[in-house]
Amino acid sequence: MNLEMLLAVAFGGAFLTYIAGKLSSWLRDTLSVLLTLVIVTMVALLYGKAGEYSYMSFLGFNLSLRTDTLSWLFAIAVSVLGSLSAIFSLSYMKGKERLDFYYFMMLLINASMLGIVFAGDLISFYVFWEIMSWGTFLLISYNRGPALAAGLKYIIMSIAGSAAYLLGMFSLYASYSTFNIADIAARISTASSGYLLSILILFSITFGIKNALVPLHIWLPDAHSEAPSPFSAVLSGILIKMGTYGFVLSMYVLVGLKTLSHLGHGILSFHFILAILSAITILIPTFIALMQDDAKRVLAWSSIAQVGYIILGIAIGTSLGFAGGMFHFLNHASFKALLFMAVGAVEYRTGTRDLNSLGGIIKRMPLTFAVALIGALGLIGFPLTNGFVSKWLIYKTLVLGKDPFLAFVALFGTWGTILYAYKILHNIFMGQLPEDYKDVREAPFSMQLPMVILSIIVILFGILPGIPLKIINSIGVSFGFKSLAVNIWGIASDTGALNTINIFSAVLVSWVIVWLIFKAAPSSLRVEQDNNYAAGSYIPKERYQYTANFYAPIYRIIKPCLVDVVEIFYMVAARAIRELCDWTRRIYTGELGSYVMYIMFFLVVLITIKLGFNIW
Amino acid sequence: MKFAEFIVSPILAFIIGVFLMGLSRRIMARIHRRYGPPLMQPVIDMIKLFSQKTISHGPIFDAGVILSLAGTIVLVLFIPFGGMCPLRTSGGLLVILYIMLFAPLGLALSGGEGANPNISIGISRKFILSLGYEVPFILIMLSVMTYYHTISAVDVVKAQSAFHWAIFSVPLFLPGLAYILIIPAMLGIRPFDLASAPQEISSGPMAEYGGKYLALAEIEHAFAIFITIGLFVDMFLGGSSNVFYFFLKVLVVFVIGLLINAVFPRFRTEQAVKFLWKWPSVMALAGLIIVLAI
Repeated sequence: MNLEMLLAVAFGGAFLTYIAGKLSSWLRDTLSVLLTLVIVTMVALLYGKAGEYSYMSFLGFNLSLRTDTLSWLFAIAVSVLGSLSAIFSLSYMKGKERLDFYYFMMLLINASMLGIVFAGDLISFYVFWEIMSWGTFLLISYNRGPALAAGLKYIIMSIAGSAAYLLGMFSLYASYSTFNIADIAARISTASSGYLLSILILFSITFGIKNALVPLHIWLPDAHSEAPSPFSAVLSGILIKMGTYGFVLSMYVLVGLKTLSHLGHGILSFHFILAILSAITILIPTFIALMQDDAKRVLAWSSIAQVGYIILGIAIGTSLGFAGGMFHFLNHASFKALLFMAVGAVEYRTGTRDLNSLGGIIKRMPLTFAVALIGALGLIGFPLTNGFVSKWLIYKTLVLGKDPFLAFVALFGTWGTILYAYKILHNIFMGQLPEDYKDVREAPFSMQLPMVILSIIVILFGILPGIPLKIINSIGVSFGFKSLAVNIWGIASDTGALNTINIFSAVLVSWVIVWLIFKAAPSSLRVEQDNNYAAGSYIPKERYQYTANFYAPIYRIIKPCLVDVVEIFYMVAARAIRELCDWTRRIYTGELGSYVMYIMFFLVVLITIKLGFNIW
Repeated sequence: MKFAEFIVSPILAFIIGVFLMGLSRRIMARIHRRYGPPLMQPVIDMIKLFSQKTISHGPIFDAGVILSLAGTIVLVLFIPFGGMCPLRTSGGLLVILYIMLFAPLGLALSGGEGANPNISIGISRKFILSLGYEVPFILIMLSVMTYYHTISAVDVVKAQSAFHWAIFSVPLFLPGLAYILIIPAMLGIRPFDLASAPQEISSGPMAEYGGKYLALAEIEHAFAIFITIGLFVDMFLGGSSNVFYFFLKVLVVFVIGLLINAVFPRFRTEQAVKFLWKWPSVMALAGLIIVLAI
């Protein structure tokens, strides 16, 4: 099984699905699900293989694909999420227009992400990167209207990122006359630190935009909330993680750990500044998420914040931090995709995702509630979910590495996360069921299946974190990090070990004990939702609910502190550029005379320079 | 690690917690110039509550309150006292920070299904309050962990043996003081009883509870008292390998806290958060900076 075949199947399948859609919609749906499942199998078979294959020659450059454990980890996440979201789409997208286009784009983006993680040289990487960016733009704008503006915002940011990437890529080519990543990595350690820093900063702009690192995040909230839900799951779950892959690639594959740790001193090092940026990325978006009233917008802002944890772990550059960051990437892919799907399922049934008008859906969609609860617990980092283990690793390295302020931000961000995660659960599922949603039914099976699979992953990796951590540890070791004492139950260490099995058994046993006490007491009478205690006052017949402005006191405290300076900056910049262009446009007078004058003037300048300075 | 620890330590914690609950009602009564109920009153209440019939709003309504108590019992297993700490190798202080989530989150989920706006307001206040006290609390934990360069609670206690108590060391004095200031907020007692204010929002999260639900919530509170103060004793007063000494230390801290807090009226939510983000946070932050500086 080689990489060329995998990509050929992925890309060819996408086109085939489009053609199949013209014949019959049933064929298209089946084909898209089958294709994604085939890709999952093909990627899974690549496990443990490493190597590099040249696949074509372009203008004399050797283009190649490579695979190793790092690529495999990202590829398996891409393919699994791709197939789950294809299954979720089956009923979510049913009856919508332009479905051939939708499936084609989903599969194309999926294929291009596989291309990115398997690219062995900078040109292939760039080509797949652009396919992904443009495909994403088209899918974000799928719903037209405000979605179009969101997509435009995304693609403009993306193009700026691509420009930075091209600059970095050609600069590397000028120095090493090769585009091959492995070849550059072998020779880059002799470069001056100023040069390395400029390359890293250029790549950080590209990948920071895709990863929505503050202050490059402004495209994300609109894009995530406007895109169709199955695609939001992919977008937040894995697509923005291509930026994470880019960070790992440029920091640890291209430049390498040893060289990287010599870049700068103390707080003025590349590591530390990236870590501070990610800490800001954790802190501010968490509180903005708290104040949103649209469920998908809450999740979108939360994606930015969680990406902060991932980059924080990777940037800090210790073996614990790297393992935590990489593990958190996997975890975020699972629980955030799960939450987007759960919100999508609720929207599918009720037609809204407004946190102020929903409520009590738990009585109609208990399974959706259960999976959303698991997703939210993972998001918080509740013990026995996967989010807990990865965050624990990050905190531990920050505490022991004498970075308590970064640790403070990370921990405090978690408490903000609890507030908005509970707000989503409470406002959608808890409280009283409004009259309008009395007849809502549970989500269809094709939606339940991917959500259940994802929640199993969240719990499984939370109780047995050793499964992914072993793979991540081997990646870390290949980058030169110290090997961690990974066990199936967590991590052994002399400065504080982690044992998830112990915690799990303790919780299970005490749960059973308390449950037995609970059962021994007289059983309780089940009552309806309107049978409530109101301290003697009259209970209104219509809605007896508290959801709007759920955390009012804290809003009043933090709202004055949260001025979106970044958004203001971009708006001012956009206006300045427009004014500049308007001003420049004035030279186009439309009269032939003035154009001739410009040409003459230009020639005069050239001649003066030639005569005066003789530089040609 | 002996198996008996898993059984003995929660039972001892429960006894200490219930005793402190009874004692607090007595002391409060004396401050108010009343006689007060007998020391055993909490136990009498629990037995009475367990025998009563009650209502339920659904499976999560039941599961939440069970989760809340179960999580708190697990938390006891992380607190080193009297030479016992059954789960010493399971993640240390960082896990303690997280397992403290079980109780409020369990109550919040249970209350959410209760479908009563008083509950929702109470939960909202409780979460905001916790956001308030977590700022100083995290800073305190970080200064202790950074100072002793470990995340293990047992190691922190070990480092303070032979009367090298953290509260008497220069860097950790201010964090210790900050911890005393936030204890009432962590326990949700006066002046920070805004989440369960009976006069305003019918006891908030407890509004729909009766019978065994209230009993479980009371037991949870007893454990919480032990954990919150026990953690302080472990981190700042050197813990103790003798259960009785440990109990004495807990008792002294509890009574001092009670005497100060019995005379304060209730804060409003914003006042509480602003207070917590101001004095205790500044003290804890100063401590952390001193820890980093030396």
